[in-house]
This record gives sequence, structure tokens and C-alpha cells, in this order.
Amino acid sequence: MHSSKAAVLRRQRFDQYVGVYHQDMYRYAAWLSRDKAIAEDVVQEALLRAWKSLDALRDENLAKQWLLTIVRRENARYFERKRLETVDIDNLTASQAALLAVEDDKELDDMRQAIYELDDDYREPLVLQVLMGFSTNEIAEQMGLKQGAVLTRLHRARAKLAEKME
Amino acid sequence: MMMNCDQYREAIAADPSFDGGAGHLSECSSCQAYRKEMLELNQRISRALALDVPELDVPELPAIETDKVVTLPTRKLSSPVWMAMAATVVLAAFVGFRMIGGGVEYPTLADELLAHIDHEHVSLVVTNVAVSDERLTSVVPADIARLDHSAGLITYAQSCVIGGHSVPHLVIQGEHGPVTILLMPDEMVSGPQRITGESVNGVILPVGDGSIAIFGEREESLDRIEKEVLDSVTWST
Repeated sequence: MHSSKAAVLRRQRFDQYVGVYHQDMYRYAAWLSRDKAIAEDVVQEALLRAWKSLDALRDENLAKQWLLTIVRRENARYFERKRLETVDIDNLTASQAALLAVEDDKELDDMRQAIYELDDDYREPLVLQVLMGFSTNEIAEQMGLKQGAVLTRLHRARAKLAEKME
Repeated sequence: MMMNCDQYREAIAADPSFDGGAGHLSECSSCQAYRKEMLELNQRISRALALDVPELDVPELPAIETDKVVTLPTRKLSSPVWMAMAATVVLAAFVGFRMIGGGVEYPTLADELLAHIDHEHVSLVVTNVAVSDERLTSVVPADIARLDHSAGLITYAQSCVIGGHSVPHLVIQGEHGPVTILLMPDEMVSGPQRITGESVNGVILPVGDGSIAIFGEREESLDRIEKEVLDSVTWST
């Protein structure tokens, strides 16, 4: 195939994936980092990395998992570089608070804050299951856990949220 | 064995789509109420997780040397080959154009297959990573065909639509690059159809009431692959 045509097709393929999965990438990054500005940085880095390694994606059906895996790694890299401190819910930066900003809806606000306060170990599988539609098997693969551990974390996450929302 | 309340609640809290434990649920009003609570909680979680997303801002993307990217070249069948095909190949059962979903028309099965392979260029990657057995089983279900691994390393497996039927689309690694195999139990051909172009060497083989298409690079020798593929596939119908 002529290289310029190959380049155009490659870009079309990339744009197609990004168009479909950009929202998922951002929301996953946002709930991992709990910071709007960091999420935007992580997604930018993830898009660059996805572009460079696009040819490694052999199965279009796995595009979503592939992109979210890149987001997860970029988020980990970001926090390695920055060595950020643990988030204190009572002392949020503007960018952290921006993530929680909702319209005039107390129930939504309370739930969002409750999720925000969950430990990473509980919040991430919940996001993957509820928001991304992953099965517990897929979550286990994504997080490098056994399925039983994923089920336990999801069970505890919901129990904690139910308790907080009472 | 029937679940008890603790087991059922643990399962439904871990995954609100859990649909097991029907026996217990039908007899336990307390767990019915708990299930309803969990489904409602999940809806609230889902709503809270759906953050507003800023407008997509794609960073400046560096140029990639696409020469190093392996894809199947554009198919350009030379006139003499087409003429030879017209003279020697009996295109059975296809009168007029083949109507495909979306209103696309192809004059022959071969045209449709070549267009499909070009469309699904993502499958044509040189790799030594095989698809999982689980994946292969889902793409080649037992009610379509039985397939063993003697045809070679299968590096791509996808269910695709050819002639309005869902067919297994597989890729194995040949000596000159990826080789596409399409198992078409509903596409009958009266005899082998050879397709040779500037960048493709292919064949559609009649197999029982259906056919199997094999397409590789121009230089790929298909004789051995044909034999191995035919030996490895058995229609279930």
C-alpha cells in the first residue's frame, strides 16, 4: 500500500477509536486521578501513546480495553512523576473540586462525593463495572487481580456507598 | 444447591446484573427487597460517575513511518487476470449483482471478499501471538464448523458478514505475511475460483454445500495452506 494512503487510513482508524471512546477515557482518568486537570493531562498522554502504538491493536473489539489500559498506565506514570499526596476531601484544590461540581442536585452531589472518598481499590472496579460495562472477568484482567478479589471489592464498595447514603 | 441470603446478597452487591439464585429469590421477600435496593443504588452510582467531559482536544500527533506497518496492499486485479477468470471460472448461483447491507453491490463473491479484507485491514498484522481458544470457539461455534489447529498459528478471529451471513474470518501467518481464511458454509461455488492480482493470490474452494476462501500476498504459495485448511475444517451442517 502506498505510504501516504496507509498514513491516511491509520489516522482514520485512530480518529474512529478516539471519537467513540474519548468520553470513557476521560471519565476513567478522572475517577482514577480524582482531579480534572490531571485527567486531561493523562488523556493527552494516553492519546499520544495510543497513536504511536496503534499497530499493536490487532482486534478492534478490544479497542476500548486497550485504550483504558493505556489511560491506567499513564495515570500511574503521572503519579510516579509527581508523587502527589493523598487527597484530603476537606481541603481540595480547585481542580479537584471541579471534578465534584454538579448542578443543583444534592443527591447527585452526595453520591459523587461518596464515590470520590472511596479507596482507589474500591473505586476503580466500580468505575470499570458501572461506567465501562466491564464484566468481573474483564476487570480482573485489567487490574491484574483474581476474579474473587474483584467481586469482594465491588461488594464492599457498594456496601460503603449504601452506608454513606443512608 | 440453593443459595442462602448471605450468598445471594453478596452476589447481587458485587454485580447487580447477577441473574442466578432465582430459586432463593422467588422464596425470599427480604432478598427481593435487597435486590431492588441494589439496582436503585447502581442507578445512582451510574449517574454520579457520568462526569461532564470536556471537548476532545487531540494533541499534535507525530508522523509514523507507515512503511513499517504491515497491511494488505490495495487490490488491483490486472485485466488479463480478470479476463482469464471470466473465461475459466464458473460463477455459480450468482446472477446479477450481490446486494450487501448498506446498499453496496458487488458483482461477484470474490469482489465482496476482497473489499471485506481491505476494509478489515486491521487483521493483517505480522505477529506470532495466537488468539485464545476461547476467542476461537466464540468465532467458530460448533454449529458452524469444527476447527483444529493444524492450519497454522491463528492470529486473528472475528465474526464478519459475507453475503448476508455471519462467517468466521480468520488469519494465519503464511511465509510471506498474513493469510486470510473465510469459512462460508452458506456460499456454494461450483468449482475452485483462483483470484490473482498485482498484490494478491487467492482461491475460493468449494467445500460441501459451502466454500472456504483463502487470500495471501501475491508471492504466497497457497497449495500447502489449502490442504492444511481443508484438513482442519469440518462443517457442522
